[in-house]
Amino acid sequence: MEFSRRQFVKTSAAAMAGAAAVGTLGALVGCDDENGGGGGGGGTTKDGVTSVTVCRYCGVGCGVLVTTVDGVITETVGDPDNESTLGALCVKGMHLASLLYCDGRLTTPLIRDDSSTKGTDGGLREATWEEALDLAAGKLRDTWKNDKSRLAFWASGQMPICEGYILSKFWKAGMLSNNIDPNARLCMASAVVAFMNVFQTDEPANCYNDLDLADVFVTWGANMYEAHPVLYSRLEARKNHGAGVKHYDITTLGTQTSKSADKVLIMTPGSDNAIANAIANYIVVNELYDQAYIDDHLVFKTGTENLGNNYDDTYDGSDIGRAVGAVTPCTFDVYKERLAPYTLEYAAELSSVSAADIEELAKVYADKNTKVLSLWTMGVNQHNRGVWMNHNIYNIHLILGKYALPGCGAFSLTGQPTACGTAREVGTFAHRLPADLVVNNPQHRRFTEAVWDLPKGYLDDELDDDDEPIPGTGIATPGKHTIRIFQDISKGNMDFLWSACNNWAVSLPNLTRYLGKGDQKGIYDTFIVVNECYPTLSTKYADVVFPVAMWVEREGAFGNAERRTLVFEQAVEPPGEAMWDLWVYLQMAVRVLEGEKIDGKDAFDVLFGFIWDKEAGDFVGSQREVNQRIWDEYLIFTNPGLKKAASDIDLDVDELFGTKNDEGVYTPSKLKMYSKQMAPYEVYLNSHGLTWPVREVNGEWLSTKWRFCDGKQEDGFDEEGIKMYGKDGKAGVGGISYYKSAGLKPSVVFRPWEPPAFMPDEQYPFWFVTGRLLEQWHTGTNTALIPALNNTLPDSYLYMNPGDFDAMDLKEGDEVVVTSHYGTVTVKATKQQRVECPPGVCFGTFFEESRLINLVVQEIYDPISKEPDYKKTTVSIVKK
Amino acid sequence: MMEKENLSLAALVGAGFIAAQSILGALGGGKLLKPPGAVSDEDFISRCISCGKCVLACPYGSILTATVADGRAAGTPYIDPRRKACRLCVDFPCIEVCPTGALSSVDKPSDVRMGTAVIDERICAAYSKGHRCEVCYRVCPLINEAISVEFRDRPGDDIHMIFAPIVNEEKCVGCGICVERCVVSLPETAVTIVPR
Repeated sequence: MEFSRRQFVKTSAAAMAGAAAVGTLGALVGCDDENGGGGGGGGTTKDGVTSVTVCRYCGVGCGVLVTTVDGVITETVGDPDNESTLGALCVKGMHLASLLYCDGRLTTPLIRDDSSTKGTDGGLREATWEEALDLAAGKLRDTWKNDKSRLAFWASGQMPICEGYILSKFWKAGMLSNNIDPNARLCMASAVVAFMNVFQTDEPANCYNDLDLADVFVTWGANMYEAHPVLYSRLEARKNHGAGVKHYDITTLGTQTSKSADKVLIMTPGSDNAIANAIANYIVVNELYDQAYIDDHLVFKTGTENLGNNYDDTYDGSDIGRAVGAVTPCTFDVYKERLAPYTLEYAAELSSVSAADIEELAKVYADKNTKVLSLWTMGVNQHNRGVWMNHNIYNIHLILGKYALPGCGAFSLTGQPTACGTAREVGTFAHRLPADLVVNNPQHRRFTEAVWDLPKGYLDDELDDDDEPIPGTGIATPGKHTIRIFQDISKGNMDFLWSACNNWAVSLPNLTRYLGKGDQKGIYDTFIVVNECYPTLSTKYADVVFPVAMWVEREGAFGNAERRTLVFEQAVEPPGEAMWDLWVYLQMAVRVLEGEKIDGKDAFDVLFGFIWDKEAGDFVGSQREVNQRIWDEYLIFTNPGLKKAASDIDLDVDELFGTKNDEGVYTPSKLKMYSKQMAPYEVYLNSHGLTWPVREVNGEWLSTKWRFCDGKQEDGFDEEGIKMYGKDGKAGVGGISYYKSAGLKPSVVFRPWEPPAFMPDEQYPFWFVTGRLLEQWHTGTNTALIPALNNTLPDSYLYMNPGDFDAMDLKEGDEVVVTSHYGTVTVKATKQQRVECPPGVCFGTFFEESRLINLVVQEIYDPISKEPDYKKTTVSIVKK
Repeated sequence: MMEKENLSLAALVGAGFIAAQSILGALGGGKLLKPPGAVSDEDFISRCISCGKCVLACPYGSILTATVADGRAAGTPYIDPRRKACRLCVDFPCIEVCPTGALSSVDKPSDVRMGTAVIDERICAAYSKGHRCEVCYRVCPLINEAISVEFRDRPGDDIHMIFAPIVNEEKCVGCGICVERCVVSLPETAVTIVPR
């Protein structure tokens, strides 16, 4: 291969930046003709620099090659060497080249002097960084010193991993605040809670290769055609190439995913838990389960039931609200008894799906010769019993022994590019620390303190005179979840909010309340700081706007739905005065932590001295070097052997966290931190992404594709993990070892059907379901700016059943007023059959700021995960 | 091809580009796309009195007036779908106001026969690159009838498919919304309407 000019340019630049001994992604982009034969990589590149990157939109994580000439992106094409997607893109990814160059880019810090101008187009004036940082940091510090329960950060599944890691450290260790929660609360929280409940590890065991291997696909509340376009292409490839491959789609409305499914089961909203339990019951009654697998691998539990719903803000503090997460061990027989009421007929009655169809699906699941892959997204997660539905899908797979096997399993798909990578892996949740650790576990806090060089007990709550911990003084008590943060804002109980990489003013439910359009006006009194690239509705409510770099204007890493971590290189500089978010976090931290001490030493230096030179007021090195240093520290979390103090706590060397039996034999509590092992930074720089855990075998770092499944590491199986943590270093029945689960046994928890918070009635006769469509991503703050892309879907519509539409004497595009218990909004109606709504069901997208459908969306959330239910608001529709 | 497309995308932001495309679209091989209900060519030219009523009646501003550059058609109404396609109103206000029958009544939108969409597979992002585009399919008012999707192998890639939009000439009414929304702009769109 010839050493082309762009490789020379790239390697020279890297060398000059002092990035010693690290690879360069650009050099990985092979000779000029490689894209031609790859089936879609696209054209060749001319002079310029090519960077290996990843798309910034959905959770699929399509590889993207970015070419720049003279500091401007001239081309983006699919990366044929990205194993997740092989160069395929969707229409959003095709337009990434234009993303950075749209009109209206924020390039100067902005300040709002008069908070009464919030929500209007005006009121922000330009400011210097110094003024904006001093103002925002002053407000944050004052709030922190006064009452730190009144401050919060709303983070994101679109925030690169190292940025999320440092932000979390600033909040949790710097200010000892757990009031940081990500927008992933709105999309993956139910999945996360179920992962932790069932497996004690937050991750899918499966990978994208399973879509090439499954015999049957079952999509539950997932419109993959629109929401995971390239992954859906993979599902279709399997269906078209594999003999007899079938696809069942279970949904509340006909989608484009339904269109190509072999069988579509249209169910009444909220009835999925009944269907899943009927399937499990059928398996149990007909003794189709795998008894040997159950004996070896599973434990059974029941949990708190009759949860009710958060009809008001007192729910979390109520008796039931505090008990929602409790579980009790039970026997398989008890599980069977609890399932017994869920006959096919009972489920059919609740769901409107025929008993015969449910039986057919149960047989398909139970067929011993069939590899079944269940896939789900927001229909399951954004659900008032979303955690339960996640459980119930795992229950089916687990009792059949059909989980964590190639082509066979239950795969929770993420919605954001790094929901898995950042929001979950580095712990930007109110209850979490990095790498699956949680704040309310003392061993987890000790481990974190060891990695962060904090004195032992630093993260604990202070003790009162009776030696009782005072909640909120340290971080032993979880902070406010997303909805609680915004409820408190609306009530005037918060003084400071900061957000980055999200657009809460459009994406939250019940915006009527949260945007101060009702009687609660707290949003006007809360000091709000927003990091943004383009103006959004959130910046219209901001007191300070920090202009920041977007996508490849800085180096970062994303983690996609299949645990693939991919470092994307900086390709271009941010415009004007826009800065890297990390720079903003550290500039704020240096101000807020001024004069603070940790163990007698300067607090800022203890936490961030390794990347920021306080004297110089700048990073200690290049962006590459800073990312490398952050990664090196983060790496200790999943490679505890790198630091003895951390390793000792991981292994419970001092016998502090384990249990002693009656004979006095001590069983240590081991954290098994290598379970989610990451590789050194340079390994990522020399790859197109790796799926964790990444294991070093004979000097080579190898991905794990199939978690807990035995087989050769080089073939993608979890050989090294099982050797390290499996029972006697071996797998169990079925070649599986759930080595991260307590006792190596995942939990099958019986979870009943309970009704939605509201049912359609005379006043609000329609179910209103919200979601995404392919062309526009989330709140449209990126996709709607690109003219050629926005032109593909410029308007949001209320998709209606043709019968309902005609009965109201509507014409295409007529405006209708949609009203719920929570608010009202005017939208345009259509009966176009892109979305096929059954009678009484309507669907809307949330990308258009001028048609703010979340004004009517209920603030009902899953009582356990606190994830809002965007799928079951009851509404009235009236022609305008 | 790819490079050209992306360079043009960056440039597309300029409205001038769209204007240039509109002119090309209007010329469309010399034959203009006439409003719904238009009678046959010769009949239309003789009946249409260039009164402009249909132009004013269109609630979307989709109907334009041909210029002298269009020769004999000068003064008659036409639609440039790239600029603004026909929205297929159920009550056809354009036909309603036509005093001469140049636009004659149509029962329902699916009976309209303005023309037929034709996809240029060489430049279509779905066909030529295997990207998940197929915007033309999803925006079609007669989705799954006039345009449907067929799965085809993606060359050199066993694990993804081409989602190929297929036009059903019997069902396509030629409203042109697919042309208006097409992401390809070289400046030719990957889908065009061949007027009836």
